[in-house]
Amino acid sequence: MGREIAFLAEFVGGSPTHAALELAAGAADLATQSGGSAVALAYGPGAKAAGSLGAAGASRVVLLGDDPSPAITHAAAAAAAAGELEPLAVLAPATPNGRDLAAALVGLLGLPAFGPVRAVRIEEGRVRTEQATLQGTVITVSEPTETAPATSVVLVLPSTFTPREGGSGSAAVAEAPKAEAGPLGKAKIVESHPAEAAVANLEEAHVIVAGGRGVGSADGFAILQELATALGGAVGASRAAADAGWVPYQLQIGQTGKVVKPALYVGCGISGAIQHRVGMQTAENVLAINKDPDAPIGEFADLFVVGDLFTILPKLTAEIRRRKGL
Amino acid sequence: MVCLKQVPATTSEKRYTADLRLDRAASEAVINPLDEYAIEQALRLQESGAVESVGYLSMGPDQAAEALRRALAMGGDDATLVTDPGLGGADAWATARVLAAALDRIAPDIALMGMASDDARGSLVPGAVAALRGVPLLSYGSELRVDGSVARVRRLTADGFDIVEAPMPVVASVTDQVGEPRYASLKGIMAAKRKPMETWSLGDLGLSPDDLHGAALTRVVEVRKPEAKPPTERVENVSADEAVTRIADWLAARKLA
Repeated sequence: MGREIAFLAEFVGGSPTHAALELAAGAADLATQSGGSAVALAYGPGAKAAGSLGAAGASRVVLLGDDPSPAITHAAAAAAAAGELEPLAVLAPATPNGRDLAAALVGLLGLPAFGPVRAVRIEEGRVRTEQATLQGTVITVSEPTETAPATSVVLVLPSTFTPREGGSGSAAVAEAPKAEAGPLGKAKIVESHPAEAAVANLEEAHVIVAGGRGVGSADGFAILQELATALGGAVGASRAAADAGWVPYQLQIGQTGKVVKPALYVGCGISGAIQHRVGMQTAENVLAINKDPDAPIGEFADLFVVGDLFTILPKLTAEIRRRKGL
Repeated sequence: MVCLKQVPATTSEKRYTADLRLDRAASEAVINPLDEYAIEQALRLQESGAVESVGYLSMGPDQAAEALRRALAMGGDDATLVTDPGLGGADAWATARVLAAALDRIAPDIALMGMASDDARGSLVPGAVAALRGVPLLSYGSELRVDGSVARVRRLTADGFDIVEAPMPVVASVTDQVGEPRYASLKGIMAAKRKPMETWSLGDLGLSPDDLHGAALTRVVEVRKPEAKPPTERVENVSADEAVTRIADWLAARKLA
């Protein structure tokens, strides 16, 4: 008998998050291995329209709730849905909200938990995951024990799966089984402070130009933004730059910020401390520009340019524009 | 009650035991750096009079008492260590189960944790403990405040921040934006030696190894080194124009620009 693969699908402002689209594609792939189908557990504003996830890979949708309350308040509904479906796995994005809901499932249902993982597969009807541990110095492969419950909770890093493109079709949407919201439902948002200017979503960026202490000021980030624009990407930062107030914390990459996996990461004036490295080390191509020839980033970048970013970046932006015929 | 974990220092050599567990005896151990921010937040709340007392709770081997002693040197009142031979290799679920049982006995208004641990990085324990205890979760706070019978966190959103509130008791987790952790003073280190520390076993918590499925619902079946990357290509001691040409060619060769 086939087993379902469920995934958490968060909606914000009427649309699924990029993570939801990634997990829909991943769940659909895993469902072909488990002989079941991909089921979205959808929540957040706009989740009523989650039938659109059919085009992304979901076979059906269970609606946990579409109010804008904290993700954790949907925990009881998620547990009721997972209890009824008994999926082989519940995939959750390794974001703060995804982790909170995944953790609640672990606690409420006593489930084995994995991750954050960078690969997951089904072997002989069992979940097998690959995780980088100890700051990426080792990779561990894990699976549930013999006596573990039949559903595994798997935290998935951004860009582990690629969203489907050009899909079509709509998935049936059903309400989650009725459940009391319980104590976890008591957290509520009492104030909301959106930023005045739009903030880029680094998890979706194909190219990231990141700045660190060496950028020196908020104004210094302007030349990074110009290069990012020329490359069709977004600007990111180290914790030092975010702590200094040069950029919003939403742009921080690293252990306590975003984990990103762009096709190209350009580190400018970033030393490459381990806390930053764990947030970008799976980038496909790493270019680093730093004045310090001994900066740790020089040990793991693909191309390491020792030089002054304030001289090199404007010239590089001009050269890229010239070659593109702009 | 601040829950903290002793972890191998990022700089120390790590080894695995024959049964694929981290050999914690072989590594230099420190308080998980992100837990130090939770300690700092708790001590600030105590100093402002928002909370009466600050205690620490850890689960780990006997040596984890050192981490608790170091926390007590920063401030706070007392500490509890849950240690048991049956807890080796505990996973997120088992850790949460044990911490929840200990917290049920202590019954703090706030169980406070760091946002992640350096060695596992699942960030699942706070939410799982809240679910097991049946209390609200206030997670990823860049600041924690107490106001009468409610606790509030300032929490980053996709493009700004929210204030999230829940009635106490709660489980809360905080980020590294709460303020830099203080250093222990000599006076603090001396005072810590006289602060009470209790040690509990699984039996003291009314738990048996069977309740914990042998301390884990997950097991590691393979440990390996990541694939080696090709060596770094270095560009140095060249003019800016030469460097720019080299970068642009490198990007073009990878179809990135």
